[in-house]
Amino acid sequence: MNIPITGSRPHQADPHSPAPSSRQDLTPDRYAARGAPGAVTLRGVVLAVPAVVPVALVIGVSVVGALAQSLGLMPFIGEPVLSTDAWAGSAGDLGRSVLVSAYIAVASTVASVIVGFVIALYVLATPRMGRIIAGLSAATIPIPHLIGAGAIGLLLSDSGFLDRTLGLPPAFPTLVGGSWFGAVIFEYAWKESAFVALVLIGSMSRSVSGMCDAAATLGATAWQRIIHVVLPLSRPALAVSALIVFVYTFGSYEAAWLLGPTSPEPVSVRAVRLFGSVDLAARPEAMATALVSLGAGIVAILAGLAMMRRSRGLR
Amino acid sequence: MTALRPGGRPSPSMPVGIGVRGRPVLRTAFGVLLVFWILVPLVPLVLWSVAGLWQVPAVLPGTYSLDAFAVLAVPGTLAAALSSLLLGGTVAVIATPLGLMGALAAQALPGRCGRAVDLILLLPLAVPPFALVMGANITLLRLHVPAFAGVVLLLVVVALPYTTFMFRSALATYEQRFEDVALTLGADPRQVLRHVRAPLLSAATVRAFFLAFLVGWGDYITTLLVGGGQLTTLPMLLGSAAASTGNEQLVAVLSLAVIIPPVLILAAVALPATIRTRARKPARTPAGTWVRALTRKAGL
Repeated sequence: MNIPITGSRPHQADPHSPAPSSRQDLTPDRYAARGAPGAVTLRGVVLAVPAVVPVALVIGVSVVGALAQSLGLMPFIGEPVLSTDAWAGSAGDLGRSVLVSAYIAVASTVASVIVGFVIALYVLATPRMGRIIAGLSAATIPIPHLIGAGAIGLLLSDSGFLDRTLGLPPAFPTLVGGSWFGAVIFEYAWKESAFVALVLIGSMSRSVSGMCDAAATLGATAWQRIIHVVLPLSRPALAVSALIVFVYTFGSYEAAWLLGPTSPEPVSVRAVRLFGSVDLAARPEAMATALVSLGAGIVAILAGLAMMRRSRGLR
Repeated sequence: MTALRPGGRPSPSMPVGIGVRGRPVLRTAFGVLLVFWILVPLVPLVLWSVAGLWQVPAVLPGTYSLDAFAVLAVPGTLAAALSSLLLGGTVAVIATPLGLMGALAAQALPGRCGRAVDLILLLPLAVPPFALVMGANITLLRLHVPAFAGVVLLLVVVALPYTTFMFRSALATYEQRFEDVALTLGADPRQVLRHVRAPLLSAATVRAFFLAFLVGWGDYITTLLVGGGQLTTLPMLLGSAAASTGNEQLVAVLSLAVIIPPVLILAAVALPATIRTRARKPARTPAGTWVRALTRKAGL
């Protein structure tokens, strides 16, 4: 599976590229229908509009609406009054929420990338058992995070299934509702490691076998093959999937709401609580929180892409 | 590759691929550990769904009963399941063709325009769903958009990156030559579309449709914030059951009701393909067969 990173378009059949020999027998009018090389064709624009317009419109309306509401310019009821209270008044709480979300996202990303890599490695290295694990792992991907969170709750809560089977000592840290968000991170790691594994297996399954064979023929040990062949081959897919997991877990709501403590709150939980508050004055704060989490997501993506580009340049 | 042993000898049992040579017992044990990691969170779910009485220190339920499943026959639950089905289906029916169009546009438009289309269609991945909903909600209310339509609109936007991505990766490995050969052999564009392009893109279409369906089927936060309680889906029932304590059986049964239909669909789609691969027959796509037949007819 090719992972197009915002527009890098790997070896696809580009109709505008110089025709390979097999295409020279095309009729001239077929070429005319494909348009002149490098031109913005009517067909391209017509195809783009139905998909691009709703996305641009909804995101545009949403961001502008959130900004206006956070500044008091689009009140639910009453007259619009420009005010920066929602930003300035709760800057401390907002900052703490961002830190909590960043902590959850970093921990979940590290855990799911490691576990996902191990699953992918096992699937690619062990044909029969690997196929079973690949199937089981892929089967967890359709499970929504809400259900994952419910299941992890039944597993990890005090008097949950884990406590019943292992008889955990009372000193064992509280996972569900604990201040370290243990159950939240576990849920993300469980769900997202399957996603990471799927991306890795898809991107490596064709190339890795032959290269590992070559390395093995040259005498590389299993460990050397993992470090010097599999890891470099998987790096682009690892980077992309880690970035997706980070951004997703940063702004995800369900698991953090069901399995996290009431305080401190990650950005998503804080925003939804303020949004649903009976106090309509809390709305602008909810919008400010939503915008901050959107901004954090975009900063993370830009930073991630810049890092990927630089590491590609270094190689 | 730096530190290779000089003269490392390829043994007769040279491993294939990554092939960790370690003891088979160890390898199997590690596999079992991974199976454990994947399945353990689902064990309490299954046990609670069939538990009658399950008091605290007991490892297994004291009594078993299927009473909790009765909730699935309650009209309210059935209506919620129908709403979920309708939501998932509508989102998929809209987002799949739009994803194909977006992917084709990104491919057809030159350089910067193509990249802009790609970027815009991937943008929803960067927006947390709750933030998207909150900002758009007041506009939807002022325009009097019905709750269902509002939820569908937002979820289509959330689903578009996935459907576009599925078609982008299918088009990236698309063999243009099949179409060209068909054209050379005298097929008209409509025949090319029907006998070459549609079969070649069918797998990606199924995958895109499935992912978009899941976005609607399993959504919680968008339905909660836009629907404002008017739209009751299975995840909404589950969310309110999971938020309070003492509902373990209900949570378990509703969770299974959300998980099992998509997993069955996934199995129905994936298993035949796996069996085909295992049979190790040469891959015969319908398009390939058609082109071969034409080639034979043309005496090439």
